[in-house]
Amino acid sequence: MPESPPHHEAASRVPVSHSPGFWAEAWGRFCRQKLAMTALVFVGLLAVLGIFSPAIVGTKPIICHYKGGLYFPAMGYFRESWENPVFITDGVIYNYPQKLKEKDPQSWAVWPLIYQDPLRRVRAGEIDGSTGNPIGMAGQPSRHNLFGTNDLGEDVFAKMVHGTRIALLIGFVSTGIAAVIGIAIGAIAGFFGGWIDWILSRIIEVMMCIPTLVLILALISIIEKPTIWHLMVVIGAFGWTGIARLTRAEFLKLRQLEYVAAARALGFRWSRLMFRHILPNALAPVIVPITFGIAAAILLETTLGFLGIGAPDKTSWGRLLNEGKANLQMWWLIVFPGAAIFLTVLAYNLIGEGIQQATDPTLKASKH
Amino acid sequence: MLNYLIRRVVFGFGTLLVITFAVYALIRHMPGTPLTLDLAEMSLDQQISSSEMKRLERQYHLDRPWYVGYWLWAGKLFHGDLGRSIKEKKPVSRVIGERVPRTLLLSGTSLILSYLLSLPLGLYSTARSGRLDERVVSTFLYMLYAVPTFVAGLLLLVFFYKDLAGTPFQLEPGMFSRNYSQLSTLGQVLDVAKHMILPVVCFTYGSLAYYSRFIKSNMEEVVRQDYIRTAKAKGVGPLRVLLHHAFRNTLIPYVTMIGLTLPALIGGSVVLEYIFNWPGMGTLYLQALSQRDYPVIMGLTLMFSALTLLGQLLADLLYAVVDPRISYQ
Repeated sequence: MPESPPHHEAASRVPVSHSPGFWAEAWGRFCRQKLAMTALVFVGLLAVLGIFSPAIVGTKPIICHYKGGLYFPAMGYFRESWENPVFITDGVIYNYPQKLKEKDPQSWAVWPLIYQDPLRRVRAGEIDGSTGNPIGMAGQPSRHNLFGTNDLGEDVFAKMVHGTRIALLIGFVSTGIAAVIGIAIGAIAGFFGGWIDWILSRIIEVMMCIPTLVLILALISIIEKPTIWHLMVVIGAFGWTGIARLTRAEFLKLRQLEYVAAARALGFRWSRLMFRHILPNALAPVIVPITFGIAAAILLETTLGFLGIGAPDKTSWGRLLNEGKANLQMWWLIVFPGAAIFLTVLAYNLIGEGIQQATDPTLKASKH
Repeated sequence: MLNYLIRRVVFGFGTLLVITFAVYALIRHMPGTPLTLDLAEMSLDQQISSSEMKRLERQYHLDRPWYVGYWLWAGKLFHGDLGRSIKEKKPVSRVIGERVPRTLLLSGTSLILSYLLSLPLGLYSTARSGRLDERVVSTFLYMLYAVPTFVAGLLLLVFFYKDLAGTPFQLEPGMFSRNYSQLSTLGQVLDVAKHMILPVVCFTYGSLAYYSRFIKSNMEEVVRQDYIRTAKAKGVGPLRVLLHHAFRNTLIPYVTMIGLTLPALIGGSVVLEYIFNWPGMGTLYLQALSQRDYPVIMGLTLMFSALTLLGQLLADLLYAVVDPRISYQ
């Protein structure tokens, strides 16, 4: 039994039957690790940044009153169709501040904190006192462009803030897909054994040997209009082998334990044995590689963006680095996105390690 | 043992067939063929006529369905022929053969460096475990491990190629200087060595951090064993305990890792070679993919998968060699 947390006063009052479960205890241990908690808070902040990115930096009003109706044009950053078509037909979308007033003097709007756009250059005269974004070498970080501008005069800070969405989504969606496939296949292989295990293990082996780049490049180019979502599915659909192998090993180990034999003797069906009895116990060791998988997925997406393949998304952090390679003098195209990728990957690695420390009771003794 | 080996090799060949079949199917479904992509680059007066196009398509079997194409490719492979590169008009084996030594130059150097450096680093951090200097070194290595190679590579280029431009310390991307052919033999060696510095640094730092952490975590497990305490109790010096008693028992996982690095050793790194314009396997791979040079892609895939399988087999065999408790039936 792992030692209980130091709650001496509380323990005397609380009835014995209320001992904390495995996950509650693991969470308690996780919370006591400062680094892992800091990393978790950092990822949480990134998520907030991603969700509210159109409100933080953008050129579209968060809320505006226009020709008698209330609109939320900033939602267009999430999905183009969420921006009301009335703004397109009225020709407002590329210059909200001026055109809104021009077309409807009664209109009012709430603006994002910073007036910059991730997808286009802000031109002169869009807002008061703005001379437009500088282009290329002139686009050093400044008061107007915190992280500088790229070759086309697009604001790097805006791109990076909106790019958080992609980085986080890639991490969660593709690793989620990989986890579901990997756990399912590993569980089936380990639980049933025999020829099922043999076939699934061969499939895993084949998948591990196919070069990832060929797979992704071929699949992406077969899709007619690849989007970031396709990329997520492709990364997820081929990143499950490690998780499957671990799950399989855990199942092979657990299915021989007495409690499983007891459950089997009680006449439970295989599905109940698999999901209720074995899976919860096999989950803890599998969660750690899943966390590392998130970091790996983000890294893979930025690598693809850097190589200039994959989905042509203008805000991906990797894309900025790709532009940086072509313009080495523009160091701000390398330093800022590079730091963002580094910190995100580091955070996920720290969280993974924290979970490892928290869920593996045998590791506790090694704490010096 | 022999039985096991034969079974593994037979399964390995089966796996290779499945992989090459899948990859062939995939790349033949990518839009464009080597000929049409070629056409797009040519000017109008160079355009080939449709009859010429038909002839070329026949020559490369592009007019046949992809499964027939795979069959023809596999048949030739059976006779030891990887086919001819459509772009470079040379046998694929020669195209790949030219690139292997260049990649090996980078990956081999880096492998040796990271093994040589990670051993003392790992042992040092075990010996000083928990002290301030060890914490600093370990934290630094941990952070280094999270730096993506392309970020590090670009930053190194910014500094050594752009910022130091004009000074004797400037380091260029690529493998050779422009005046390479005029240099003496010694000069040529030095020139390549100079161009190797940045890619090798990038190649090494990640695995260095990984290996030394790996050694440390293995050592920490061993150091807690009873026989270590016994050794200390009977008065063996700390250095001898560390090297003679503890380290020898951590060799098993370390040795098996050699097998797993095999594909990376020859496959190189696409990203690193792309950053530093290194004309190795990685750039060949990227180039063949974008030009749809099917025979080259297939040759590279075959080589890469065979190496991966071989590496896994090697790792399993090394396990049995270093640990007598493991035997394969």
